[in-house]
Amino acid sequence: MMRRVWLNLRLFLQGALLSYIGLFAWLRPATYLASKIVMPLAQILFFTFMGISATGQSNAHFYIIGNAVQIAAVSGIYGVTMSVGGDRWAGTLPYLLGTPANRLAMFSGRAFFHVIDGITGVAIALGWGVVLLGLDLTRTDPLALALTILITTFSTSGLGLLLGCISLVSLETMFVNNTAYFLLLIFSGANIQVSTMPGWMQAISHVLPLTRGIAAARRVIAGDSLAQVAPLLVGEVLLGGLYILVGYGLFRWFEYQGKRRGTLWGF
Amino acid sequence: MGQAVSAIEVTNLRRVFKTNIGVLRRRAKEVVAVDDISFEVEPGELFGLLGPNGAGKTTTVKMLTTLLLPTSGMARVLGHDVARQAEAIRHRIGFIFGGERGLYWRLSAVDNLRYFASLYQMDPQVTNRRIPELLEMVGLADRGKERVEGYSRGMMQRLHVARTLLHDPELLFLDEPTIGLDPVGARELRQTIRNLQAAGRTILLTTHYMFEADALCQRIAVINHGRIVAMDTPEVLKREVRDLSIVELEVFGIPPAVVDRLRALPYVDTVSIENLDQRQSLRVQTPRGAEAVPDLMGMLEGLRVGRVVVREPTLEDAYVRLVGGEA
Amino acid sequence: MNLQAVRMSARVVAAAAEVTLRQNVVDAFVLFTILLQPLVIAVLAMWMLGGRGSENAIFVVIGSGMTGLWSSLLFMGGNSINWERWTGTLELLVGQPSHMSLIVFGKNLAVVLQSLGSMLASYALAAAFFQAPLHIAQPLLFGVSLVLMVISFVCFGLVIAPIFLMNPQVHHWQNAMEFPVYMLSGFLFPIALLPGWTTPLSYLLTPYWAARALHGTSGGTASSSETLLCWGMMILLAVVYAFVSRWLMDVMLRKARADATLRME
Repeated sequence: MMRRVWLNLRLFLQGALLSYIGLFAWLRPATYLASKIVMPLAQILFFTFMGISATGQSNAHFYIIGNAVQIAAVSGIYGVTMSVGGDRWAGTLPYLLGTPANRLAMFSGRAFFHVIDGITGVAIALGWGVVLLGLDLTRTDPLALALTILITTFSTSGLGLLLGCISLVSLETMFVNNTAYFLLLIFSGANIQVSTMPGWMQAISHVLPLTRGIAAARRVIAGDSLAQVAPLLVGEVLLGGLYILVGYGLFRWFEYQGKRRGTLWGF
Repeated sequence: MGQAVSAIEVTNLRRVFKTNIGVLRRRAKEVVAVDDISFEVEPGELFGLLGPNGAGKTTTVKMLTTLLLPTSGMARVLGHDVARQAEAIRHRIGFIFGGERGLYWRLSAVDNLRYFASLYQMDPQVTNRRIPELLEMVGLADRGKERVEGYSRGMMQRLHVARTLLHDPELLFLDEPTIGLDPVGARELRQTIRNLQAAGRTILLTTHYMFEADALCQRIAVINHGRIVAMDTPEVLKREVRDLSIVELEVFGIPPAVVDRLRALPYVDTVSIENLDQRQSLRVQTPRGAEAVPDLMGMLEGLRVGRVVVREPTLEDAYVRLVGGEA
Repeated sequence: MNLQAVRMSARVVAAAAEVTLRQNVVDAFVLFTILLQPLVIAVLAMWMLGGRGSENAIFVVIGSGMTGLWSSLLFMGGNSINWERWTGTLELLVGQPSHMSLIVFGKNLAVVLQSLGSMLASYALAAAFFQAPLHIAQPLLFGVSLVLMVISFVCFGLVIAPIFLMNPQVHHWQNAMEFPVYMLSGFLFPIALLPGWTTPLSYLLTPYWAARALHGTSGGTASSSETLLCWGMMILLAVVYAFVSRWLMDVMLRKARADATLRME
């Protein structure tokens, strides 16, 4: 039993390591700088200024927090889907599937380092908010905020795993990624109050990751305690887990179809 | 700039590439792809550049077609310097590097041709006439409206031929034009090349197929490791090996050490190995001919040997000798 | 430059534009950049700025349309030369007699014209969202501004494309140039909100002048002298870009031929 756990853990970490190498193989320092530090800043500034021009300076924090946490979607979506849908993975996949290895460990390990990467991204983005835009973190419980960020990146990575699976069989990965990222800008409540959306949009918001995370982050920064935002965080974790399971189910289904039809992953 | 000028004039041409090795700590490395070559091609000639892969043939052609600047030396095409007078050359030459790249996959063959015709500043009326003619000539007339992404490798190669002839250039550079074609297609293309030359064009052809150079070219320059090791007509090149016989031995898994020992023999010129499935064909060039067979067999003691043939040299053998047995 | 040469050049430009259009029509990435992204921004902008009333609607339409125009120019116009390298056709384009500038001009022209479609899409969305007729206050002046915008954008692209090819470091910052230009150009909020030291940067960008002219003539808020100023700047910048790009192209081509980077190995 222990041996099985140990084997699965090793498999999980190997997948994690591969996705880590994949992440940093194509990411040169300049690109990393641009995508991790400059782009989040640019996005936050753009929407915050737009928000200020509409509703005044006092509401700036709404946009700052919303966009900062939404940055988690960069790693969660782009990073994870590239990792799952990437050529490197698809090249080794047929061999891996020929082994009795645990698929879930194999699959979800791919998201591990991107979760860490995502946390860094959000932290940097919030840092920008504090330094440049006067975001006030004095009433924040650091543990609660840290947990919120962790859980939110976890759940967006879950979505990334699902999208990555889809892009394994459809070839237009970047289209899927970009669409998901931008739609999340709308539905996650990063820039729009969820409560002001029409009913059907609210429904979509609530089944997407990020929505509860952003709401929780706003409340935590305003001074709420961990206990007060717990329901939101629990919801976010469960949603993330659900995405991982659905993505995994899809993964297994593709595997089965691939074996039946003799075309593995459409390649 | 009259008829007396060579079509191509190359003097001490050299091209060095700098590459970087390693990812984190990068070391610079210099590769000399073309090392001080000189040759001339006369108007109306079909000239061949023959050599193994990596010899520098493509690099030479890229310099002559103004796509690559020489590191040193001089090259003139149709009287103009390739480095400084590139624009004057470009509308008088055509070139093929072939393969699947170099075509717009999402467009049809006709659209690809029409685009290049515009770029070559051709009159639209002339274009409309030439495109069907050319497609007919290369055998793509019935598939001209299909998108190139659906073409086979051979079809793409044929489309490249059509493209290169659009503006009716007087000088053609064909870089390994029959690669990827099936034998019938390759033979048809060679006939087309002969026809093109017969119509008065100058052609520089690169290939690593000895029989192709022999069949088509009036003169051949053999190039290896960036240097020209021989340049003459095919007949003269064959005479290079007139004194040699070739002993062909069929062996099965010969150890490299034994091959080296064979090479070291005083009466052996070169030894080359061709791998055919399970068997290997060992070709020993030696002036002693049939007399050398017992000694060679002695060297192969303990190894399984199949057929042994002693024969006259071909251009291929001359080529092998010239490139030092590495083909 | 005689008439024959001008006609030849125009034909090359038209051919390059046509080929680009045909290929882009079936490209998912293009559809995303031209349609989806600007629409998402339009929805966000309309929601966020919509509280100001429906007079604001045309401002949002123009502004979000311009974000689409800039993103298209940045990603597709900027990549025009690189893209040819990826498909293996760059060598063929360099080896033929027409100048590369003409080809890049044609490609960028196609890209900019296509993404005018994004402005149309925003228009349709806004009409549905605000349920009020959107009208342009000074249609003639707006039309002229639009034409000048197209020309100056295309010329800007002529500068970006060779820079991206020659300098991979700069190319990596491509993504990071999207939102900053939205801000510096005042597409969806006035640049007065930004710190003062960024204003000179704004003045150097042709998208800023284009946005100012288009906003002014559509909303009727610009005086004729202001509109003329914008036109003047767009023309001036277009001329500067055209000259600089000609020089840049020659440098780029020479460098690519020396470094053997016309083909990806």
